[in-house]
Amino acid sequence: MIKIKGLHKYYGKNEVLRGINMEFSRGKVYGIVGENGAGKTTLFRCIAGLETYRGDIISDLQPLKNHIGLLLTSPFFFSKITGKEYIRLLCNARDKKNIAIDEKNIFDLPLNQYATTYSTGMKKKLAITAILLQENDYFILDEPFNGVDIQSNIVLTEIILKLKELNKTVLVSSHIFSTLSDTCDEIHLLRKGEQIKSVQKVHFKTLEQEMKETTIGTRIEKLDLK
Amino acid sequence: MKDYFKLQLVMTNRKVKEAGINPVLGYLLSLVAFVLLSEYIFQKTEFARYLVILACLSFQFRLSEKSRTDFLLSTFGDKSKNRIRVLENVIVCIPFVSILAYENLFSEAAILIVSSITIALFSFRTSLNFTIPTPFSKNPFEFSTGFRKTLLLFPLAYALAAVAINLDNLNLGIFAMLLIFLITLSYYSKPEGEYYVWVHAETPKSFLRRKVIRATKNSILLTIPITIGLLLFYPVEYDRILLFLLIGILALWTMILAKYSAFPSELNLPEGILIAFALSVPPLILLVLPYFYTKSIKNLRLILHDKN
Repeated sequence: MIKIKGLHKYYGKNEVLRGINMEFSRGKVYGIVGENGAGKTTLFRCIAGLETYRGDIISDLQPLKNHIGLLLTSPFFFSKITGKEYIRLLCNARDKKNIAIDEKNIFDLPLNQYATTYSTGMKKKLAITAILLQENDYFILDEPFNGVDIQSNIVLTEIILKLKELNKTVLVSSHIFSTLSDTCDEIHLLRKGEQIKSVQKVHFKTLEQEMKETTIGTRIEKLDLK
Repeated sequence: MKDYFKLQLVMTNRKVKEAGINPVLGYLLSLVAFVLLSEYIFQKTEFARYLVILACLSFQFRLSEKSRTDFLLSTFGDKSKNRIRVLENVIVCIPFVSILAYENLFSEAAILIVSSITIALFSFRTSLNFTIPTPFSKNPFEFSTGFRKTLLLFPLAYALAAVAINLDNLNLGIFAMLLIFLITLSYYSKPEGEYYVWVHAETPKSFLRRKVIRATKNSILLTIPITIGLLLFYPVEYDRILLFLLIGILALWTMILAKYSAFPSELNLPEGILIAFALSVPPLILLVLPYFYTKSIKNLRLILHDKN
């Protein structure tokens, strides 16, 4: 369980998270949606403890960060590190040794090549593989579907559902609504750092419709496309 | 083109400022350091002219990196790209050419100018497609990535040690041993991204202990051919050889602890001065180490969420 109470985050005078209250239970998948700059990544970084904040983030496992598998939007890779070494580095960091990395290479990545030579999607798949092999209790996936091919997106959706089945807690952000509606139990909508609403699975269709209307509005007409 | 160079200057100034130095002072200090270092090299070795040419060309090769020149080509077009690249290389070669001219090495200076202009018209891939095997693959990342980046320097150090033994020059042999430490401590000169520290489920103490032990083991492993060679040929001088080995190890520890004392920022001027002092007067390392250690623990507590 992770409980967030009255979370505020400031960058200088700019308040980027405004009193967030959320609760994430075991065995559930949560979606965080919002436009660019809504505060999704900052929220994830606060939960992971990569940012200082005002408010409380409580969890049943302490320290929380040691139990989180964190997928950043654009994972960074050292030059001259191979895919296999990257996975080994992340597993060693959580004291998970002697893992049969080659057997668990479900995305068929060229693990003996330097990670910096990978395409965007391959880099993301490598980072996902590494955090999965860390055997975490919580997963924070910041735009895991972004840049990844359709086949791997299907695999990724199944992985998230499997994690749910294994009683893990998964937090996902995505700009593709269908990826969230397929996997999430609840979706939190953020706008300019504010928590606008939290929606249960049965109301996802309505949320999608509302988001479409709010986002599109009269923008397309303004273009006056000919 | 003018805007491009203006932007380069702004970006360079930013980097100097980030190091905690006023840009004008930074350029002045760099110039003084460059002149003193060149003077020192010319006094110490007859190969100084080649070292100067090599240093200049290695800078210019970096500027000729394929993706960089591709960007210039797509942004400015063929003619402007070539002009920019020639001007960049000429700017880079000015201090090196000046030193050569000052030393009355006019033909070398002329060769350097011509080479600089020629190199500017080509681009090179600096990254190789094949993976260089490393003995440090089991415990990434500093040594596995660092070893690959500095691979060519190891045979150089070993060859230097062989020459030292051949010429019966123990000092040169010890220098070769310390060169290995100089290479391995360079692996710790830049901070890794916060994520790569955050990800460790460790206390700051065990994190630092692991880093230090691994670096020591790996560095000793790399110096073994030199150390054993020197001990075999100069058994009477074993205490001196082992003393310098110890100094190398202590210097490595200083670098690692200094890095995490400034983390997640890069090492700045104050840390740089402390390291320079400690390395020039090795007993000072024993005073500097506890300072860097305490600061590192304090820093790492925040990022590793250690409440003890």
